[in-house]
Amino acid sequence: MKNTIIIFLVSFCSIQFSIAAPIKDSISSFTFQKLQFEAALDFDCDACGCSASGGSMGFSSMLNSNFVGVRYFYQSYSSKDGIFNNSPWVDENFNTTQVWAKIPVTDKIQVTALIPYHFHNRELSTGSENINGLGDITVMATYSVFKTQKDSAVFVHDVQLGGGVKLPTGQFKEANNAGTVNQSFQLGTGSWDYLLLTEYVIKRKSLGLNTMLNYTIKTENDKKYQFGNQLNYGSTLFYLLDFNSLQFVPQVGIAGEVYETNKQYGENVLNTAGDILFSKFGFELGKDRFSLGVNAMLPINQHLSNGKIEANYRWSVNLNYSL
Amino acid sequence: MKNLVYKAVAVLALSATFTACSNDDEVIVGTGNLGLEFDNSFSGNDLILDTQANTTASSEVLKISSIKYIVSNIVLTAEDGSIFTYPKSSSYFIVDESDAATHVLNLKDIPAANYTKVTFGIGVDKAQYEAGATGQGDFLATADAAGMMWGWSAGYKFLALEGTFTSAQYTTAVPFKVHTGQTGTDYNYTTVSLDLNSKALVRETITPQVHIKADLSKILNSTNVIKLSDNNPNGTGANIMAGANLSLITANIATMFTVDHVHND
Repeated sequence: MKNTIIIFLVSFCSIQFSIAAPIKDSISSFTFQKLQFEAALDFDCDACGCSASGGSMGFSSMLNSNFVGVRYFYQSYSSKDGIFNNSPWVDENFNTTQVWAKIPVTDKIQVTALIPYHFHNRELSTGSENINGLGDITVMATYSVFKTQKDSAVFVHDVQLGGGVKLPTGQFKEANNAGTVNQSFQLGTGSWDYLLLTEYVIKRKSLGLNTMLNYTIKTENDKKYQFGNQLNYGSTLFYLLDFNSLQFVPQVGIAGEVYETNKQYGENVLNTAGDILFSKFGFELGKDRFSLGVNAMLPINQHLSNGKIEANYRWSVNLNYSL
Repeated sequence: MKNLVYKAVAVLALSATFTACSNDDEVIVGTGNLGLEFDNSFSGNDLILDTQANTTASSEVLKISSIKYIVSNIVLTAEDGSIFTYPKSSSYFIVDESDAATHVLNLKDIPAANYTKVTFGIGVDKAQYEAGATGQGDFLATADAAGMMWGWSAGYKFLALEGTFTSAQYTTAVPFKVHTGQTGTDYNYTTVSLDLNSKALVRETITPQVHIKADLSKILNSTNVIKLSDNNPNGTGANIMAGANLSLITANIATMFTVDHVHND
């Protein structure tokens, strides 16, 4: 499966390339900054379920224009349905379509909103289970703490800090957590959660490195369930290839997630903590006001739910429009 | 503008703190229910009757057709050390792998508390047995119907494991029966005490379920090692139902239960 994805990406990439390359459009509003925005927006949703998915994202300080976009992402997990060695593994498919917008309020402050719609399913021994609906909406603001102003500088730096809130707009159903399988087969955490974020971008000429760190504080929901706090980190190396009317940005990086233990009625829920490290790779393609991004993430190593949950892979495709 | 951002972050952090602390002052009153689930397994694998080949540490291969045991005298210990003894007249159960309805013991009217330990017996305690046939209430008929009685004078079967086995010595499947209970010299009732790995929060609105794993491989291979091949004198069946082996097996049974997890739903 992993190989299939790689082949898919590479071939998709080259097809796009060959079709698009000969077109010479003299005017392109597409900028490096937009591409960086793409690079920063990882689909680092909850590995242990998409309950808070789309909630924690990268952000970019480099972007000075308004954006609206839509992104689809898919996550494949296998979860153990039972407590024994011979208990069956259940495939879980998490699909999310997300609308996002990023609006600068001032030179240094930007507001981002994320509105996810989930459609998840899994095949239990008792039959298939589907949930779909609105997920948790996230609103956050970022502030540019430091930014290299001189165009002539060899290295361009940008440091951003921010905070946000994730609203309990996605449904949390207690019944989904009654078994021993993935505790995060949910549309939302059901709780008000808070994000703290930081990002650093350094670039030199066409090469850039985006590093981000964010932390989500999750609170107890009205069913007295509390998802564990979550740390996301990641680093992406990207390179801009400019073909006049068309920009192509290959990117490669790593992304990690660390989950604390979930609680129910204040008691730890066993086997809910974990961590995972992904490799990620993809590309962005920009033309005029549009940009297309394709990304894939493959686990390098993982310890989710004491080995009872395995992340297989994730991929995403997004289309953005510069307003 | 910087100050505004710092203030916003501070407000967020504070509100998170308050939300997280909102239910610390709960007053625990009333009664609730609790489920004790007995999940039979063999060396880490979920038990499948008849078809599953289960290899013991003595390299004997067992196909189990039936496993039943009596669970009795349930006692719950709360985090403050207080003890709740489930009413003795209602505290006798038979767990039968072939009947899913018997896997969860639904205990009712338990004082609301945070329980940290469960204690139960395997078999029927001597005092109860000595209360005589009329002292057994409905349980005598229940045990009789389940085949968990040898007859009144011989008493209850505390645990009954049956099936067929093969070994290096017996390559064709041979039937076996392991039935524990009293012998002339030993009563063979045993008590199991298990700490819960997370608290069972019994409330009017919360019915915790304690998921207990029973590893049947330990019946023959634990503190003591008993080989079916050594108990098959005629080659037609290994029947362990009396003698010194029963107290050895009883000591093994005391080690076969573990708490996997507790749900507070």
